[in-house]
Amino acid sequence: MHRFDRAFRFVLPAAAVAVLATVLSVGWFTQPDRFAKGYAPEQPIPFSHELHAGTLRMPCQYCHSGVDRSRHAGIPSVDLCMGCHKVTRTDRPAIQKLTRIANSGEPMPWQRVHTLPDHVFFDHRPHVSAGIACQSCHGEVQTMKVLTREMGLRMGNCLGCHRDPHAVLPQGSKITRGAEHCSACHR
Amino acid sequence: MKTRLPEHGPLETPRFWRTLEERIETPEAQRAAQDEFLPGALPTIHDDVHGLPPQDGFSRRDFFGLVGAAAALAATVACDRKGQGTVVPYTKRPVEVTPGVANYYASAFQEGRRVYPVLVKTREGRPILITGNDEHPGVKGKTSPRAMADVLRLYDPDRLRAPKLNGRVLGWAEAETSLHQALRAAKDAAKPVLLLSGALVSPSRKALLADLRAALPTLEHLALEPAAGDAAEEAARASYGQTVELRPRLAKAQVILSLGADFLNGEDPEALAAWGAKRRLNHAREAINRLWVLEGPLTLTGTNADQRLPVSPSRLGAVAFALARELAAKGLPLPAGTDLSASSTGVPAGVDISPKTWSSLVKDLHQAGRNAVVLCGAQMPAEAHQAAHLLNALLGSEAVAVRPAEPLASIRDLEAATRGMAEGRYAAVLFWDVNPAYSYPRTAAWKEAVAKVPSRTWIGQVEDETSAQCQLQLPENHWLESWGDFSTEGAEVLQQPTIGTLYDTRQGEDVLLGAIRALGAPASESYHAYLRDRWQKALPAGTSFEQALHDGLVKVGDKAAAPAFKGSSVAAAARKAAESRAQDLELVLFSGFATLDGRHGNNAWLQETPDPVTKMTWDNPVSLSVQDATALGLQEGDFVSLSLDGTTLKLPAIIQPGQAKGVLALALGYGRTTGGVAKGVGVNAFPFMGLDPASPNVRSGARLTKAGGRKELSRTQRHHRMEGRDLVRSLTMAEFAQDPQGHHHAPEPITLYEEQRFPDHKWGMVIDLAACTGCSACVVACQSENNVSVVGPEQVTLGREMHWIRIDRYYEGELENPKVVHQPMLCQHCDSAPCENVCPVNATNHSPEGLNQMAYNRCVGTRYCANNCPYKVRRFNFLEYTAYKAEPETLVYNPEVTVRPRGVMEKCTFCVQRINDGRIRAKGEGRTLRDGEITTACMAGCPSDAIVFGDLKDPKSKVSQLAAASRAYRVLEEVGAKPAIAYLADLKNPAVQGGPHAL
Repeated sequence: MHRFDRAFRFVLPAAAVAVLATVLSVGWFTQPDRFAKGYAPEQPIPFSHELHAGTLRMPCQYCHSGVDRSRHAGIPSVDLCMGCHKVTRTDRPAIQKLTRIANSGEPMPWQRVHTLPDHVFFDHRPHVSAGIACQSCHGEVQTMKVLTREMGLRMGNCLGCHRDPHAVLPQGSKITRGAEHCSACHR
Repeated sequence: MKTRLPEHGPLETPRFWRTLEERIETPEAQRAAQDEFLPGALPTIHDDVHGLPPQDGFSRRDFFGLVGAAAALAATVACDRKGQGTVVPYTKRPVEVTPGVANYYASAFQEGRRVYPVLVKTREGRPILITGNDEHPGVKGKTSPRAMADVLRLYDPDRLRAPKLNGRVLGWAEAETSLHQALRAAKDAAKPVLLLSGALVSPSRKALLADLRAALPTLEHLALEPAAGDAAEEAARASYGQTVELRPRLAKAQVILSLGADFLNGEDPEALAAWGAKRRLNHAREAINRLWVLEGPLTLTGTNADQRLPVSPSRLGAVAFALARELAAKGLPLPAGTDLSASSTGVPAGVDISPKTWSSLVKDLHQAGRNAVVLCGAQMPAEAHQAAHLLNALLGSEAVAVRPAEPLASIRDLEAATRGMAEGRYAAVLFWDVNPAYSYPRTAAWKEAVAKVPSRTWIGQVEDETSAQCQLQLPENHWLESWGDFSTEGAEVLQQPTIGTLYDTRQGEDVLLGAIRALGAPASESYHAYLRDRWQKALPAGTSFEQALHDGLVKVGDKAAAPAFKGSSVAAAARKAAESRAQDLELVLFSGFATLDGRHGNNAWLQETPDPVTKMTWDNPVSLSVQDATALGLQEGDFVSLSLDGTTLKLPAIIQPGQAKGVLALALGYGRTTGGVAKGVGVNAFPFMGLDPASPNVRSGARLTKAGGRKELSRTQRHHRMEGRDLVRSLTMAEFAQDPQGHHHAPEPITLYEEQRFPDHKWGMVIDLAACTGCSACVVACQSENNVSVVGPEQVTLGREMHWIRIDRYYEGELENPKVVHQPMLCQHCDSAPCENVCPVNATNHSPEGLNQMAYNRCVGTRYCANNCPYKVRRFNFLEYTAYKAEPETLVYNPEVTVRPRGVMEKCTFCVQRINDGRIRAKGEGRTLRDGEITTACMAGCPSDAIVFGDLKDPKSKVSQLAAASRAYRVLEEVGAKPAIAYLADLKNPAVQGGPHAL
């Protein structure tokens, strides 16, 4: 067999298959929206957003108070919970656990539900000041007994909205687009 | 300015040059200019099979290996972000902390007699950045490079974390008992106890020592500052009858004469601010000052001189007294009792100054009168200081403040202490934040004497040469964990902790308070309480201690009267100066730019900051003049033996243009034998220090011989070269008045690319080369703000340093005494950036606000961009400099900036994190951005305000007005890259025809 024949018959198809396999497998694993959605880990305390944000109608910023001052919305400190739970529902085992943590000063290890890679510098402030509802990215939190991730928080999610934000903006907002340049988020 | 390079023609000998090779145009230098990376910076292929010579680049095998690894990595890291660990809130949130928002606290940093009032930026309780306190009337928001870098020392992994007794770790209670027993025994036996500490500038610390002396009457205290210079102290005592400190007030100075004084080296932000204010001229008719520098080695101040004259330090006194005689002859009144008969008239023998220059200097000083000032370098001989004191008295100078100061221990005091210890006079010795076992010139004698003291205690942060000799080692707080107060001109400054103690450490004052209590005297429970009680009594009505802490200072009038100059001291000094001559070579020992006296040796940021003049990092070679190098047949990097008084050191030599013939210069503070970073870097020059307090730092009789062998110098100036193009511009005042742009004409932009559009802002910068002194504060500020990696001496030698901003130092003119221009060089954020076009993955591109942005997570490390950058400002992470780091080192990182891994290109971002934050804050408050609201780290750190950042789209902004100034130019404008940084040409104000380097 001529060496070119061998190249055409075996080496080229094998190479094509290898390349295709790589592309497909990398593509499969880098499509994590499928995996990312619906993530609802068990938390150290079975905190219900449905009760607090839904039934009791507590505003999000009561607990996530950093959201208009800081890049991070922030997880409330344990002593904030104790503001109410010193007297409220002290008979529940979960509240008793909370009290124990608050008194001993030990850390409260909440499981992270919404997360971004280290090279993404998302800032809550401009989004909140533009009047975008928390639910736009975090889902209908006020209906969740267990906090569940509804959006993959991929770059596509960011850019999709930045290119056409009118659906999430309040009526009459003058904003037409969000930033699309790299250093808006990566630096 | 007569000779100009043709714009694109064949290159003649470059008008501006950075290295000797460049000037002489060796073939190596020409070859190096062709390549982006230095030989050895790129991986090398060794093809042993085919016997080919080694080649730069990747082998096929390496390439496929990396491709496979990259694909596997991409697949794994990208697949899933579930289970991203925990997020732990505060259990009890401190009221002032909002995660993600920085808090600023006022505090203060002491270095020798200098005190830097600072603002400390903390994030989630961690100090991460230090700037000057803008409410202090003197420093006005600026500080020194070493003060900024000292935040790294807080997180030094070498810090001692618990007390130790004879090598055994133990608790504080036991450690203190051991100390108290020794002190009580000394008190009962009425035997002396020796305490060595740094300079005393804190009123409360002074009071505490007085309390300790009351409880322990046999206490002897020595304030040790080994690199401060005994000569200045000796001279001050002779001239003023007491210890004084001379502070320049350059705002009032029209003519400044420096006798080896390096007052522009970054240590004194006040002097730099005043200098900058006199140099940032918009029009040639505005008043400019004139700096005359007479010095042996080329200092940073010498590089900024309008008229510089190389004079060996031993002759400086004679020159200055001769000047005094000339001025007296012109009718200036000599102070009573002044006898100048021993000094010469006219230029003294052995000094190479032409009569024309001499008369011009005399005329300058005479005309300026009380607006002239003479400053003398701390290391210079005592008679030069006395001559400077006389000249200032003669001129009636208002540009220098004479302030009483606490005396420092002289070399004689230390000799006496050594004798006392050797004779067994002392029952105990305490070393508090000092390291005499390293810095005392006769180390062996010192160590032998110390070993004879029964009880030896050391209080400090990182175990050192001295702690090795002590039974008891007490770990001390960093100053960012400590309380304190200091006296400065115009304000009393307070120091407060900005973080709780990281380890089981205490501040030295607390240890002494414990000792006072143990000795049976009443004392406060803690130094915090001690300080608070003292201040609550001393504060003016209506001011609370808390308010004072918040401001970091209490403003006070300068109450101390300036002591008068004593004319009677002159006769002896003038006689001594007239006779002073150097034999053989003259060695000048100066404090290291990075290390000072060795205390900063363990700070990697400082070690890697290039010395502003020699551009050396991580080493202290001996520098010699061009003439001496030729005579000795020495090349740069050659090992030499330097011997003096029976001490011999082998070290590399460098050739320093501008250094006076017969003068050698060597930095102190290197050659430490302890410390993870400091150990083995350079050589220890303290053994060369003399025991004559009139001139310990200037020694004659040095001998230099070739020792054989060479060292590759870890020096940055030969990196990132720009092929001799006209990149820096320097104008004399006459040229500024006539034609600031000279032969340069704005090029016609021809481009194939669409013009960039900037809808809202266009960020830009102006750098005034006339105000820039090269002090390198910007380099350290940038390093701290932007998490810039340290790479170490070997990597620097290969040209892999990571600094986002560098200061190019250009020489012009004669080798023996060149003119010098400093040019900060950073990413120019070009509108038509050549780097952007060549990136195959679009990792670097242009933002709608004019930034040349860099997406690290996109970068695959082809380095095409660096190759195509005409300014040589892109830095590649050749190795993994960060991933191996663990706490406490990682705590210093700025959380707003990505820590870059291996294989990624990086460069200046114009501090985009600050821009974004400023924009978002303004938006949140419903307003537009104010000019000057956003500062880059380099701008905020620049003590002479040479850097201005802002919006070029706003015609009223400071930056756009400066960018249109007559001195403005853009580097390599003809390339058409359209940089966003404009430089303002350097200004020199020579007094003599023929330019600043005419002798």
